[in-house]
Amino acid sequence: MSRIQTRKELEQKEVLLRAEGISKGFPGVWEHLILDEIDFDVRAGEVHTLLGENGAGKTVLANILSGFYSSTGGKIIINGEEVKLQSPQDGLEHGVGMIHQEVMLAKPYTVAENVALGTDDSDLSNPVSRVEREITELSKEYGLDVDPTAKVEDLSAGGQQRAEILKVLYHRPQVLILDEPTSLLTPLEAEQLFKVLRGMADDGFGVVFITHKMDEVMEVSDRVTVLKLGKTMGEKMITETDEEELTEMMLDEKIPIHLERKEFEDREVALSLENVHVTGPRGNVQVNGVSLDIKEGEILGIAGVSGNGQSEIIEAITGLRDIDEGSLIVQGEEVTDVPPRKIQDKGLAHMPEKRREIGVVEEMPVGENMVLRNYRHPPFSHYKVLDKEAITEHSERIIEEFNVICPDIWKSETRILSGGNIQRMILGRESWEQPPIIIASHPTHGLDRRAVSNTWELFMDLRDAGSAILLVSEDLDEVLSLSDRIAVMLDGEIVGVVDADSADKNEIGMMMTGA
Amino acid sequence: MITQIYAKLKPVINSVLAGLVGLAGGAIIMALWGYPPIAAYNALFSAVAGSMYGFGSTLAQATPLILTGLTFAIGVRGGLFNIGAEGQMFMGAIAAVAVSTVAMPVGIHIVVSILAGMLAGALWSMPASALKISRGIHEVISTIMLNWIALYLGMYLVVDWLGDPQRAEKSISAASTARLPGMLSGTSLTFALIAAVIFALLIYFVVWKTTLGFEIRVVGKNPGAANYAGINENFSINSTFILGGMAAGLAGALQIIGHPPTFAIYADFSTVRNLGFDGIGVALIGRNHPIGVIFAAIFFAGLNVGARTMQITAGVPLEMVRVIQGVIIIALAAPELMNLWSRLTPGLKNWISEVKGS
Repeated sequence: MSRIQTRKELEQKEVLLRAEGISKGFPGVWEHLILDEIDFDVRAGEVHTLLGENGAGKTVLANILSGFYSSTGGKIIINGEEVKLQSPQDGLEHGVGMIHQEVMLAKPYTVAENVALGTDDSDLSNPVSRVEREITELSKEYGLDVDPTAKVEDLSAGGQQRAEILKVLYHRPQVLILDEPTSLLTPLEAEQLFKVLRGMADDGFGVVFITHKMDEVMEVSDRVTVLKLGKTMGEKMITETDEEELTEMMLDEKIPIHLERKEFEDREVALSLENVHVTGPRGNVQVNGVSLDIKEGEILGIAGVSGNGQSEIIEAITGLRDIDEGSLIVQGEEVTDVPPRKIQDKGLAHMPEKRREIGVVEEMPVGENMVLRNYRHPPFSHYKVLDKEAITEHSERIIEEFNVICPDIWKSETRILSGGNIQRMILGRESWEQPPIIIASHPTHGLDRRAVSNTWELFMDLRDAGSAILLVSEDLDEVLSLSDRIAVMLDGEIVGVVDADSADKNEIGMMMTGA
Repeated sequence: MITQIYAKLKPVINSVLAGLVGLAGGAIIMALWGYPPIAAYNALFSAVAGSMYGFGSTLAQATPLILTGLTFAIGVRGGLFNIGAEGQMFMGAIAAVAVSTVAMPVGIHIVVSILAGMLAGALWSMPASALKISRGIHEVISTIMLNWIALYLGMYLVVDWLGDPQRAEKSISAASTARLPGMLSGTSLTFALIAAVIFALLIYFVVWKTTLGFEIRVVGKNPGAANYAGINENFSINSTFILGGMAAGLAGALQIIGHPPTFAIYADFSTVRNLGFDGIGVALIGRNHPIGVIFAAIFFAGLNVGARTMQITAGVPLEMVRVIQGVIIIALAAPELMNLWSRLTPGLKNWISEVKGS
C-alpha cells in the first residue's frame, strides 16, 4: 500500500473532479447555509477523506458531487470540463459513483438483479447472466467477496455494502464516494473495506471517504478535508497532520472526557427484575431467567455482544414485549404484563435503540415529537385538548439545551433532522424533569465526540440527582466509564455482575464471549 | 419569506396545476373524438357558476361527498384503508327514515335523526374494526363485504319494513318535523350543507388539536412509535373507524332529512348509491385533509352538475363526459394516490402473505 507522502507528489496526480464554491441552503429557514462555498477536489490514486461532526454537511456535499442533490451555487468540473449533474445516473455517466450510508438496494432481489436494474445493456433473453459474469470478475479484481446470485436480504451488512460498491463499480467510475461506510460494519469487515479502498486508489481511482471517526481517517486517507457547520476548516496531507490537530479543526475546542461522580450511596431499589424469561416469535429463548436490581442514583451497565438478549430485556422492561415468566417491579409495585402506558406513567423514561424507527414519528413535526410520550399530561394537554403553546415552549427549551438543529418546530418534519439531532432530541425529551428510572439503549451510538461527552455528563448528572439508570451499550468504554455496576449478558443470561471500580476490560470481554 | 409562503401554498398550487393538467387531458380526448373542448368546458362552468340554480345544486350534491370523503380521509390519517363509507352511509340513511316513524317535536326530531344516522354508521363500521383488531383481517376486505351486506339488508328493510304503503318503489318519507329547511329557494340546497361543513371542522379539531387525534395520527404514521409512546393501538383503530362511520352515517341521514323533494330512500338505493365510493376520490383530491375535502367535494359535485349541460349544450355524450371526469379526477388524485399506495400496500401484502402462510 503506497500512500501519497507529500503535496508535491499529490500535485503530479491528475485531478478527476473539482468542486468550486459549492453552496447549498434554504435561505430564511436555516440560520446558516448547509454548505457555504466549499472547494474540494479529488485526484487519481488518492483517498481523500471528508471529516466532520454530524450535521457538518459531509453527506450533502457528497450527494451534490454525485448528482443526487443540486447545489444552489458553485460549479463542478470533471476532467477539466464544467458539468451540471442532473441525477445520480448523470453522475455515473460522468464517472462519479456514490455509496450511501444506508444501503440502497432492493432487498428481495439478487445482487446481479440489483446491478442490472441500474443499467440498460442487459440481454433480453437472459438479462442477468452477463451481469453475473461481470460482477464475478469485478469482485475478484477488487477483492470484494459477493455471490451475485445471492438475494440482498440474505447478505450481512458488510455483504450488502460490498454489493452496493459493486453496483457502482459496474458503471466503471473514476471517482468513488463512500458515505460513512463503516457505520454498519464489524471491525473486521471495516478492515477489509480499508484494504479494498487502498487497492482501488493504487489502481488510479479517486476515492472520497466520509467519516467522523479519527482512527479511520489516519488509517485510510492520503489527504483530509475538514468540514464544520457547512464550512471548510482546512485541508491537510495526512503526513503533515495528526489526530489532535484534526480533532481541533473539527471541533474547534478541545473536549476532554473526564467524569466526576459522587460517592454511591445505598438507596432504595427503583427497578427490579426477578427471574425474567422472554421467548421469541419462533419459540426461541431470548431472555433466560434474568434477575437484576437497580437502585436510585445508580447506573447499571449491561455489557454484551449484540444479540445476546439485551434488546429483548429492554423491551420486556418497557412493556413492549411480553414477559413469559418472572416478574418486573417498578418502585415497589409489580408491573408484569401491564400495558406500556402504565409502566411509563410510573416515571420510566426510555431512550430506544431504534431511534428513527420507533423513537420518533418521522413524518410528524418536531414539536409533536417532543411530546410523543407525555402529550397526555398537563401542561401539554388539558381535558384532552393539546396546548400548542406549552408544547412549543417545551420544544424550544429542549432545542436550546440540547443543541438540536431544527429549522422550525412546527413546519419541519422530523425526518429532515440528522441522526445526531434526533438522538439529542430524544435524550432531551426522555431526561427532562429528572425521571426516576431511565432505560437507555446505545445512547451515544453515531454521535460525534462532543455530543458523546455531553451525553455522558448528562447521565452523570442524572445519576447524581438520584435517577436509576439502566444502560445498554455495545461500546465497552462507555459502559466502563459510566456504570457503577456492570452486568454481562451472554445467551440471554446474566453471566456475571462486577463493580465498575474493580472491573477489568479484558475480563469483561472474556465474559461477553463466554471464553 | 417568499419560500415560506410557497411552502404553505404548495399543496394548493399542486392541486390547481393537477386540475389544469386534467382539464387539458380531457380537452385532448374531446378534440380527438371531434367534440368542441372549449364549448364543452364553457357549458360545464356556466352550468355550475352561471346560475343560482346550478350553484345551489352543486353545493347540494357536494354535501354527502364532504362527509363520505371525510370517512376515507380520517381512515388514511389513522393508517386505515376504510372503503366502508358506502355501507355505513346506507345504514345512516335507513336509521334516519326509521326515526321518522316516531312522532317528535320539530327541532328535536332533526337532532335525533342526525344522531341516529351517525350512530348507525358508527355501528356498521364496528365489525370491520373488531375483525381487524382480533383477527388481523385487512379492512379493505371486510369493508367491501360489509358494503354489500348493507345494500341487501337495506333493500330488505326499505321494502319490507320502511316501505311506503302507497308507492312500492320507495320508503316512507322523512317526517316533516325531521326535515332540514332549504337554504336557496328553487334548489335542493338545504341546511344539510352547514351540518356537513360543521362536521368537517369538528373532525379537523379532533384530529389535529386533541390527544385522541394525536394518537390516531401517530398510530397511522408509525404503529411501532405509538406502542413505544404508550398509545393503545386498538383503541385508536376503533376511534378511527367510529369517527369515519359517524361521518358516513351523517351523510346518509342528511340525504334523507336534507334532500328534497322526496326525503326518502328508493328501493334500489339510487339516490345514495356510490356516494360512499365517490368519497374516496374526493378524499384523494382533498389530500385527506378535512378542509381540502370540503373544496374537493364541491369540485367533484360541480363536474357532476356540469355533465348534463355539457351533453345538452356541447353535444358531448354523457359517456364521454364521464371519461373526461375520470381524467380530471385521476390527475388531481394522483399525488395523494402515490403516497397512499406506498404507505398502505406493505400492510396489505403482509396480510396476504400471512393468510397464505397459515
